[in-house]
Amino acid sequence: MSCIRSIVAVSFLASIGVSTAVTAQEMISDTTARKQPLTTWGVQFEEFEYRYSDDDEELGVWNADAFYGTDDFKVRLLTTGEYEIEEQAYETLENQLVGQIPISKFFDAKAGVRFDTPEGPDRTYAVLGVAGLAPQWFEIDANLYVSKDGDTSAELDAEYELLFTNYWILAATLDASVAFSEDEEIGVGKGLVSTETGLRLSYDLIDRAFSPYVGVVHERKYGDSADLAEADGGGTEDWFAVIGARIAF
Amino acid sequence: MKPRFLTGLLSLLMPAMVLAGEYDLTVDRVKIDTGDFVKEGIGYNGASPGPVMRFKEGENVKINVTNNLDEMTSIHWHGLILPFDQDGVPGISFPGIKPGETFTYEFPIQQAGTYWFHSHSGFQEPDGAYGAIVIEPEKREPFRYDREYVVQLTDKHPHSGDRIMRNLKMIPDYYNREQQTVGEFFSDASKNGLMNTIRDRMAWGDMRMMKADVEDLQGFTGLINGKGPEQNWTGLFEPGERIRLRFINSSAMTYFDIRITGLDMTVVQADGNNVQPVNVDEFRIGVAETYDVIVHPKDEQAYTIFAESMGRSGYARATLAPEEGMEAAVPQLRDPARLTMADMSGMPGMDHGNMAGMDHGDMDMNSSEGMSGMDHSNMEGMDHGSMAMGKGGQNDPFYAKGSGLVPTAANGGKFLSYADLKAQDPLYEDREPTREIELRLTGNMERYTWSINGVKYEDADPIRLKYGERVRFKFVNETMMTHPMHLHGMWSILDVGADQWNPIKHTVSVQPGTTVYMETEVDEPGQWAFHCHLSYHAAAGMFRKVIVEGGPESTQAKTDVIAKDGGEV
Amino acid sequence: MYDNYYEPEEISVKPGETVRFVVENKGNLVHEFNVGTPDMHEAHREEMMMMVEHGVIQGGKLNHDMMNMDMGNGHSMKHDDPNSVLLEPGQSKEVVWKFSDKGNIEFACNVPGHYQAGMYGEVNFE
Repeated sequence: MSCIRSIVAVSFLASIGVSTAVTAQEMISDTTARKQPLTTWGVQFEEFEYRYSDDDEELGVWNADAFYGTDDFKVRLLTTGEYEIEEQAYETLENQLVGQIPISKFFDAKAGVRFDTPEGPDRTYAVLGVAGLAPQWFEIDANLYVSKDGDTSAELDAEYELLFTNYWILAATLDASVAFSEDEEIGVGKGLVSTETGLRLSYDLIDRAFSPYVGVVHERKYGDSADLAEADGGGTEDWFAVIGARIAF
Repeated sequence: MKPRFLTGLLSLLMPAMVLAGEYDLTVDRVKIDTGDFVKEGIGYNGASPGPVMRFKEGENVKINVTNNLDEMTSIHWHGLILPFDQDGVPGISFPGIKPGETFTYEFPIQQAGTYWFHSHSGFQEPDGAYGAIVIEPEKREPFRYDREYVVQLTDKHPHSGDRIMRNLKMIPDYYNREQQTVGEFFSDASKNGLMNTIRDRMAWGDMRMMKADVEDLQGFTGLINGKGPEQNWTGLFEPGERIRLRFINSSAMTYFDIRITGLDMTVVQADGNNVQPVNVDEFRIGVAETYDVIVHPKDEQAYTIFAESMGRSGYARATLAPEEGMEAAVPQLRDPARLTMADMSGMPGMDHGNMAGMDHGDMDMNSSEGMSGMDHSNMEGMDHGSMAMGKGGQNDPFYAKGSGLVPTAANGGKFLSYADLKAQDPLYEDREPTREIELRLTGNMERYTWSINGVKYEDADPIRLKYGERVRFKFVNETMMTHPMHLHGMWSILDVGADQWNPIKHTVSVQPGTTVYMETEVDEPGQWAFHCHLSYHAAAGMFRKVIVEGGPESTQAKTDVIAKDGGEV
Repeated sequence: MYDNYYEPEEISVKPGETVRFVVENKGNLVHEFNVGTPDMHEAHREEMMMMVEHGVIQGGKLNHDMMNMDMGNGHSMKHDDPNSVLLEPGQSKEVVWKFSDKGNIEFACNVPGHYQAGMYGEVNFE
């Protein structure tokens, strides 16, 4: 450290003392980033996996979301897809763009649009939902969809994590969808449409950024939706072994 | 070092002669090697930590700070009493130091003791921008020692500050690897019974709070004077010497419990101010606090200075030894800290109906006034029955009754409590406060937002104080985390029930579920920052600007002008 | 006696010499002036610790009632040994002591924390 010490006559010392008064100084206002709402962003892949079914079906599946915004308003892009590897076609491809705001200590409300563009007819929906943390640590995501033709449906996603250790985590998921009107074109009947349950055991390999997992997934269609699927020549129930990774950054 | 003879000579010629020192600091990008990892960070004069600035009480210092970064920077002199525009907080004291610019701080040194300095821009401080300040007193100190060392602690993390903030906002328990697991469920069940354990887990689950929520940031390497545990900073001594250790906690988020196995410590200074000496075996140093202790090693052996994080997730260590290369045993970390329902007692709207049959020592939940020790009647005459603040006692009036965070000395001896701190030379006369201001410490862990009175800094009005008043601040901690509250520019007289002997501090730690009082003589005009010193809490909103209206001369007209302008903050 | 040190911090005596110490407490806290060996001081510090715990010594004051209280075994916490005085701020007392043999003698204040902070002085034998 370069330290130059000098001895100074005190005649002008008084000026340093006097300047402590507010006379010559301005009290500035805070225009720094600290006075602005904290803007943050993130990307998470809850699912990024390869599925192999008991019918020899192979799927590449993802379920991801990206957000950008502040505590009071976030923009989110939610995307999920199921890619049939052999047929090289998307069984499912949904992209949602929503705006999200906090409505209570643990819950947010969101609204936006969802675009479905799988193999087959496309659909566009308006989305209205709530997402958050329910008591006993259940992550809940409940959404209401209204299509352009007025078909309404709802989806409830729930997730629960059990910590075997601080790095080995077992996640249980349940996705259930219900339709209030029939949409035969895409195989949706009135009532409970389908459920997807999953059990995945992951290991946090790199912080929470990369956590590979193995697991099992069960898909099932019900009621009219099941009938429509059978009539189409498809199945109504599938078991999958899955291997993939959770990603967050 | 200091040419005293010249001063003496010239003082005959010029009646009032004063020492002035000029110092140069550069703010640079540096490489930080912790022994566990190497990371780019920010330092002063090419290193992190920066140099130890040595001043003399009464000196007028001039510090030229050159910003070699490509972003704005600043330096805040933590704990120093100085004119507000020299305090170094961008947006409050001054606009900040632009890249390439050299800013000159100039202020008189009006105190003595151990302090520190750090950047107040962005997350530069957790990224390495910190250093120590040692101020030699004018008069002799009320204690003696043969040599001294600065022992500056930090929690260096492999992630940069910006990344940590983003991760915490996205996943609030991102860095918490001490969470309760299935294994802990079974061991708790065998210890406390299955139904009790289930009820306990469900009570916490109902609140969506974690017992394990003690440390937000884990996975750091504890550094002492820039060296990690493997690198082992060593202070040499000759057996029989008294050594003064200037402990400074410069971490971003971590409280450390410090002990030196085999040596008693006598605490003689807290936050730079002399305290009546207290012998302890271990003490907890909060973020931004300083403690000066005297140790007296008589044997020709090495001693380990062990700083265990409060949540027991990590540690820092250094050695005192007669020779380089000597090492003493490094203790194991103790079990992870767990909160209890008592720590939750600050939270508003707790449904007490669920609490039946919970943890054992926590039945006193209805008193959000965990501060049972505040009545003056309790402070005098150490009554054996209740206080038990001495050896191995589980009671500390600054923790909620039944808290899971009450520290105990690892060797069963005395653990320092705030209640043990009494000023050696009170700076102010004891008088009745002119008013009380309540500041509820609030936050939402899931959203990782932290605030005061439920309002984040971005939405908050400044706190307005009048020059000359004595304000009594009441901190009510409605969260389950410990917050070190730091008021810039003016002293915080912590109420430990000792009236005029209340210790004088700059950083006051408020434990979960407790209410802590401190008083401030408003004697420094200008505007000052006032915030929780946990870096990521301050950035998430736990911050305020304090405006002191008026000054020693009547500046009422000037203040009116400022008020018009500053009102829009 | 000041907070927390003696002035002077060193004295010289001849073996066999009798010295009269005029001790004045110019500090804000209770202090002790005690002549003895380091071992004696260490033992005495335990006793002084007890005095603080029982509320006899309270920072800048002495609780004289507590001091005279019978501890139940014929002892009290009266501080009345010939080689030492315990003074409140502003008080002054005398200690007359004969330094019979050369030895490792020091004068010290055994109020908890004071000795460790440096409140002791050396007795050098000529």
